[in-house]
Amino acid sequence: MASGLGAASLALLAGFISLPILSLVLWTVNEDSWRAMASPVTRDALLLSVRTTAISMFIIILVGTPAAYVLARAQFPGKRLLDSLIDLPAVLPPSAAGIALLLTFGRFGLVGEPLDAFGIQITFTTVAVVLAEIFVAAHFYVRQAVVGFSQVRRDVEEAAMVDGAGRFSVFARVTAPLAFPALIAGAVMAWARALGEFGATIIVAGSFQGVTQTVPLAIFSALQSDFDAAVALSVMVLGFAFVVILASKFLLCKAADLED
Amino acid sequence: MSESWRKASLVSIRFRVLAGVVALCCLFLAAGCGESSGQEGDRTGGGGDDTLTVFAASSLTDAFRELEETFEKRHPGVDVRQSFESSSTLLAQIQQGAPADVFASAAQEEMDAAVKDDLVSGEPRIFVRNREVVMVPEDNPANIMDFRDLATPGIKLVLAEDGVPAADYALEILGKSEAEYGDDFEEDVLSNVVSREADVRASVNRVALGDADATFGYASDYTPDTRDRVKVIQIPPDLNIVASYPIATLKEAKNPELARNWTNLVTSKEGQRVMEKWNFEPAS
Repeated sequence: MASGLGAASLALLAGFISLPILSLVLWTVNEDSWRAMASPVTRDALLLSVRTTAISMFIIILVGTPAAYVLARAQFPGKRLLDSLIDLPAVLPPSAAGIALLLTFGRFGLVGEPLDAFGIQITFTTVAVVLAEIFVAAHFYVRQAVVGFSQVRRDVEEAAMVDGAGRFSVFARVTAPLAFPALIAGAVMAWARALGEFGATIIVAGSFQGVTQTVPLAIFSALQSDFDAAVALSVMVLGFAFVVILASKFLLCKAADLED
Repeated sequence: MSESWRKASLVSIRFRVLAGVVALCCLFLAAGCGESSGQEGDRTGGGGDDTLTVFAASSLTDAFRELEETFEKRHPGVDVRQSFESSSTLLAQIQQGAPADVFASAAQEEMDAAVKDDLVSGEPRIFVRNREVVMVPEDNPANIMDFRDLATPGIKLVLAEDGVPAADYALEILGKSEAEYGDDFEEDVLSNVVSREADVRASVNRVALGDADATFGYASDYTPDTRDRVKVIQIPPDLNIVASYPIATLKEAKNPELARNWTNLVTSKEGQRVMEKWNFEPAS
């Protein structure tokens, strides 16, 4: 009985998710959308999304990994406050995040104004896109990484240290590999969030083809004039996301094999 | 005066940021202690009969909000709901079956498309006209003095999205100005575009916030809200385009009578006075 209910719920959920995806794919079975997939707008948007999310992920992993390690291992006053602060962007509506970023990096913002004096403007540039992506996505990586590092037992690390390994090499050869599945899972989540980022980007970066118009912005823009292009972009980004999920699953399996 | 205003606004922004940070910290401290009383407003969407849904071009925002008050006073119990977006977005929504009673467009093209798709009941009426203008921030950082300066390399120009009437008119004007300012004028201006915004109000706001150096807007976008923050630069009359705004009731209107009353109010003497107050030009 209970399992019947579970199965029905699962079927309902699966149907609810797959129907819109199916509708999306069905719509593209015509020439207009194939043509739209090859258009310069589509190509520029995809390239920009790949480029900006790659840079964002590089920065998130570079800064987020040591930060997460400290959060997992160290105890210090104000830690809980800091913890909540890092979670905040995940709960904040992206449009609110965009306003906050604009008030910081805009021409009259707290950071933007001094930069403007040097002739540096952040709004309407690719830098603004990356800032928005990092702001909303960093949480997802850091959170998973903290969990991953917390699960690595301290005595394993200490044993390696007793064997004469330095702190950094313990981290690189013992802790990080053991936490690898969590790091990958976090990176995929963060990347997905960065790829989908819309609200903050359109507010702080504006929308211009090849410079700030990422895939979600291009979809929104195409909606004004060319519905086929909007659908085509949605399908392409769907395929792209699917490939990344498969790749990360594959990596996780590899990591599990290595541990054995 | 403008300088001091700018300073005042900066101070107030800083103050607000600070106040926000303090409020946030309080929230963190309160989190988990307070019992959130999940009070859900009992909004059942109102009876379909006494709701009027108006889809209007975003440049109409202020004028139509004022008319909404007049209308609701005159029709007690009627709730007017308005959606302000670019005419092209509204058209797409209506084509996808959005429940609208009245459509007021900033361009003939969108209305023609609605008529062609058999979505409109009766004849659309032109109810106001609106001039395109160039808007720059009050402190005018790029030093734009007349229309020609838009071609100055390096200025940050924002336009509304392709297909939004305000932007289409702007492109038409630029096309026309080549004869006067030389073949490269349009190209030079367009190479200064740094962003395409969802609608005309969004692009005017970019200038009001000072992040963009200039944009194309309508005379009616010079509102009390933006007056202290933007300056208007006129486009030479021989190049300028005057936008005609058509309004029509829709076939799918739930309450055609209310919808007609709305278009009548907009085209009435009183309605026209309100439109003029918001810098629109009368239709005839």
